[in-house]
Amino acid sequence: MIDRKNSYPKFAVVGHPNKGKSSIVSALAHDDSVQIGNTPGTTQVKRGFPLKVDGKIIYELFDTPGFQRARRILAWLEEHKPTSANKRADTIREFIYNFRDDERFRDEIELLEPIMNGAGIIYVVDASKPYGAEYEIEMEILRWTGQPSMAILNLIGDEDYREDWSRALGQYFRLVRTFNPLKAKFKNHIELLESIAQLKEDWTEQIKNAIEILKKFHNQKIDRTVEIIKDTTIKSLSYVYRHKIKSKTATKEEYRLASKHYRGELVKYERKLERDISEIWKHKNIERVDIPPLIDDVGLFSKESESIFGLSQKELILTGASAGAISGAGIDLAFSGGTFFLGTVIGSIVGGVSAMVGFDNLYNIKLLGKKIGKRELIVGPMKSANFPYVLLGRALYYASTLANRSHAIRDSLKLDDREFFIEKIIDNNMRKKLEKVHSKLREQKEPKEELLEEYREVILESFKKLI
Amino acid sequence: MHSKNSTVSIKSYLDLSQLLSEYRGSHEDNRAFALKHKKLEKAPTKLLLKWLDKNYFRIDGELNSKKYLDYLLSISSLLGLIFFILGFIVGLGLLSYDGKLPVNVIYYLFIAMFIPLFSMSLSAISIFSSDRVSHLIALLFPLHWIEKVLNYLPFRKKLKGFKVNLSFKLSKLLFIERLQLFSLIFSIGLLLSLLIMVIATDIAFGWSTTLQVSPEAFHRVIKYISIFWDKIIPSAIPSLDLVEMSHYFRLGEKLDISMVHNADKLGAWWKFLAMTTLIYAITFRFLFWIFTKEYLKKQLEESILSLKGVDKILREFKTPYISTQAPQKEKHLEIVEAKKEVVIKKREAKYQTILGWNFSKDEILLANDAKGIDGAENIWAVGGSNSFNKDLEIVKNSSGVVLLYVKSWEPPTMDFIDILEMLIENSKVTRVEIYPLGTIGRYYKNEQEHIDIWRRKIESVDSQKVWIVNHDR
Ligand SMILES: Nc1nc2c(ncn2[C@@H]2O[C@H](COP(=O)(O)OP(=O)(O)OP(=O)(O)O)[C@@H](O)[C@H]2O)c(=O)[nH]1
Ligand SMILES: [Mg+2]
Repeated sequence: MIDRKNSYPKFAVVGHPNKGKSSIVSALAHDDSVQIGNTPGTTQVKRGFPLKVDGKIIYELFDTPGFQRARRILAWLEEHKPTSANKRADTIREFIYNFRDDERFRDEIELLEPIMNGAGIIYVVDASKPYGAEYEIEMEILRWTGQPSMAILNLIGDEDYREDWSRALGQYFRLVRTFNPLKAKFKNHIELLESIAQLKEDWTEQIKNAIEILKKFHNQKIDRTVEIIKDTTIKSLSYVYRHKIKSKTATKEEYRLASKHYRGELVKYERKLERDISEIWKHKNIERVDIPPLIDDVGLFSKESESIFGLSQKELILTGASAGAISGAGIDLAFSGGTFFLGTVIGSIVGGVSAMVGFDNLYNIKLLGKKIGKRELIVGPMKSANFPYVLLGRALYYASTLANRSHAIRDSLKLDDREFFIEKIIDNNMRKKLEKVHSKLREQKEPKEELLEEYREVILESFKKLI
Repeated sequence: MHSKNSTVSIKSYLDLSQLLSEYRGSHEDNRAFALKHKKLEKAPTKLLLKWLDKNYFRIDGELNSKKYLDYLLSISSLLGLIFFILGFIVGLGLLSYDGKLPVNVIYYLFIAMFIPLFSMSLSAISIFSSDRVSHLIALLFPLHWIEKVLNYLPFRKKLKGFKVNLSFKLSKLLFIERLQLFSLIFSIGLLLSLLIMVIATDIAFGWSTTLQVSPEAFHRVIKYISIFWDKIIPSAIPSLDLVEMSHYFRLGEKLDISMVHNADKLGAWWKFLAMTTLIYAITFRFLFWIFTKEYLKKQLEESILSLKGVDKILREFKTPYISTQAPQKEKHLEIVEAKKEVVIKKREAKYQTILGWNFSKDEILLANDAKGIDGAENIWAVGGSNSFNKDLEIVKNSSGVVLLYVKSWEPPTMDFIDILEMLIENSKVTRVEIYPLGTIGRYYKNEQEHIDIWRRKIESVDSQKVWIVNHDR
C-alpha cells in the first residue's frame, strides 16, 4: 500500500486549545519561529516540521490547531457508527470528506488529516489543571482513528493533577509521559523520542536512527560553538589596531580615537560571536537583553563584567599570568595556604597585589615609525591577564544559555545569572593550558597547532560542563 | 569567462582565496554540492576545485589571478628576453677569438657547467630549507635583485590595486621555478651563440689555469664531464692529444708552436663544449625546472587546503545537513481590538438561570455555595458529556438573567461559543454573565491571564447581552 522506502514516522501533536501543543513542537523541532501565544487558537492550520538529513525526511512532526467542536463531531460519528470497530477510521475519513469545506469543522479536519495520513498521535494536556470529563470526547475521537497514540502531560501552571490525568489518559493511551517544553533540555528531548519509538514497532528502528542523528547534530552544534569561541577569542586577543598619524607626535585626540577604535573592534567581534552562536542554536528570533558591556567608555572592563566573568585576582596570580610583574615564589607561597584567605585578610592582600600589578592597565598604545607621514599609533594586543577569561567567560555563558534554552520560550533572553563564575567551570589545570596560548598571543606570537588544539579541548570541556 | 580547473594552479589557488574572502556557502548548499559529486568524496582538492568552478560567478569584479598572472607573464617575458640576450652576449664574449689568445675552455666550462650546477644546488637547498635560510639564499640569486629593480618600474603600479594572497613558501617556490626557466633560456642563448660563433668564425680553444694541472689530469676531468655522452657521441670528447696540444700559458710570451700549427684541430673542442652546455646547462636545468614546477604544484595542493575558510567548507562537505524547520512560514494573527468593556466587577444579585459549562450539577451547587449565590429556578450543567441537542434544549428553557460558570483555565472553544450565541438569540434571556472560576485547589481564584483570554474571545462575540464577571479582584 505505502511505499516502504518513502514512509517515515509522522506524529501529530493534538489536544485542547492553548495547552502547549505548539510549544512542544517548537521545542522538539528546535525552531523558534513557531507561533506560540497565550491566545487560544494561535495555531490555525497544521504545519509539518520534518527532521531532514541531507534532504531526506527521518520523521515529521505536525503542529495542529486545537479541538473546537469535538462534541458535534463525535455525535456525527456515533450516528454513522459502523458495525465493527475496524471500520471506524473509515467513518472519520467519511466525515473529513463530507465536511472538508465546512468552516465549522476546519480545525478538526486540519488536525485529523495528518492522523488519517498515518501520523501517530501525541495528545497534549495541561496537567497542572484538574481533569474534566469533556476531554473524553476528544480522546474518543482520537481512539476512532485507530492510530498509535501517546499522551504528554505538560505542566503550565504550578498545581499538579498528574495522578488524576494519568488514570484517565491511561484508558485511552498506551503511553503517558511528562514533558515540559519550556524547561526541556536536549536530554529530555531524546528521552521523549525514546518513548515515542515504542508507539509502533515499524517506527522503532527509524526513531532510533533519528535519535542518533539528533545526537550527532547536537554534537556538531557543540563543536561549531567551541570552534567559534576559540577563533573569536584568539582573534580578539591578537588584535592590533594601527592608526596613521599625520604629524610628528600624536595628539590626545588621536590617542583617544585609536583607543576607541580598538575597543570598538573588540566589541564587534563579540557581537559577531553572539550572532553566530544564536544561528547555530537556531535562536534567531530572540530579543536580547544586554549583558554588562565588555568594555566601558573609559576603556576599562566594565567592573561588572570582570567580576562576573573574569578570574578573581587570586586565581589570576596562581595562574602565573602576572608572574612577570610579581616575583613569583613569595606570592605563590602566600597563596598556597587556603585558610590564609578567610575573612578580610583576603581582600587586603589581594587588593595590595592588584595595585602592584596594575590590573586596570589593559593594553598598550605605542607610537611607531620614524618618517613623518608613516608614523602610526599601535594599539594592542590586549595585555591584561584577565581579559581572555572575561572574553571566554562571557562567550561560554552566552553560548550555554542559548544551548540550554528551549525553542518554545518566547520571553526575551535574560543574561543575568549572578551564579555564573568562570572559576567554577575552568579548573587549575585547564587554566594552565589556556594560559600557554594567552601568553603567546600577548607577545604577538603565533601559538603552535598543538597548543591551539589543547585550547579548543579546554573550551569544549568547559562548555560541556555547562550544557 | 574562465576555463575549468581540474588541477590546482596558481590561478585556481588565487581564485579560490578570492572567492573565499567573499563567499563560503551555507552548510546546506555545500553539503548538497558534495552529495552531487559523491565520486569525489575521497578527493577533497578536486571537489574544492569543482566548487570553485560552480561559484565563479560570485566573485565581484576582476579576478585577482588575472591581474597577477598578467603581471607574471609580462614580467616573465621581459626577463626571459633579457636572459636570452644575456646568455647570447655572454657566449659571444666568452668565445670571441682575436686570433692571438685562444678561448679558454675553462672559462666556458665555468659558465656552462659549474655555475648551473651550483645554482641548481642552491635552489634545491632553498626549496627544502626554512624560510629564514631561504631569505638568505635568495640574496645570492641575481634574479632576486633584478626583480627588486623591476618592482620600481611601471609594473609596480599594476600590482598595487590588489593583494595577492600567496604565502612566503609559495612565492619562494614560484620564484625558484621562474629562476630555472630564465636560467634555461640563458643557457639556450649561450648554446646558440656557441653554434653561431662556430659557424661564423674560426675559434681556437685552449686551456690554461694558474693551478698545477697536468694535461693527463685535465683529460681525466674531461672524461668525467663527458660521461653522459661518451658512448653516443665519442667525437665530442677531446682526445688526450688535443688536450695536451691546447694547453697554453697566458703568461708565456708566445704560443706553443704546435698550437699554431694545429689551430684547426683545436677547434674540435666545440663539440665537447656544445655537449656540456646541452647536458649540464640545458637538459639538467630543464629537468630541474620540471621538478620545481611539479613541486610547486604539490605545494599549491597542500596550501589550498589550508586557505582560510577551506576547513569550514570541507567540513560541511562531509557533515550531513540536518534540519528540523518547517518549510512554510506561519501567518501572523491579527489582534481584534476591543469594542466595549465586557468585564464587570459587580455581578447581578439574583439569577433566573444558572448554567455550568463543563461542570456537573454538584459542582455548580458547590460553586454557588462558595460564592454566596442563591439558588436559581433553573440550574443546569451544559457541555461536558451532554449531547449537543441536550444543550440546545437547556438553552431554550433558559430565561432572564443567566449566570454561566466556566473553567477559567480552559479557553473558550467554538463549541462553547455556539451555545453562547444561542443563548444570546434566545429572547427570553435578558443578560448573560459569564463567571470564570479558578480551580478548587485555589478556592476558585482565577488568574488575570485567563480572564484576558476570556475577555478577548467574548469581545469578538460583540453582544450587548454578554458580560464577564471578575468578582475576585
Ligand atoms: N509556564 C509554561 N507555559 C507554557 C508551557 N507550555 C506552554 N505554555 C504557554 O501556554 C501558552 C500556549 O502555548 P501554545 O504552545 O501556543 O499552545 P497551543 O496548544 O499550540 O495553542 P493553540 O495553537 O492556540 O491551540 C503560551 O503562552 C505558552 O507560553 C509550559 O510548559 N510552561
Ligand atoms: Mg498552537
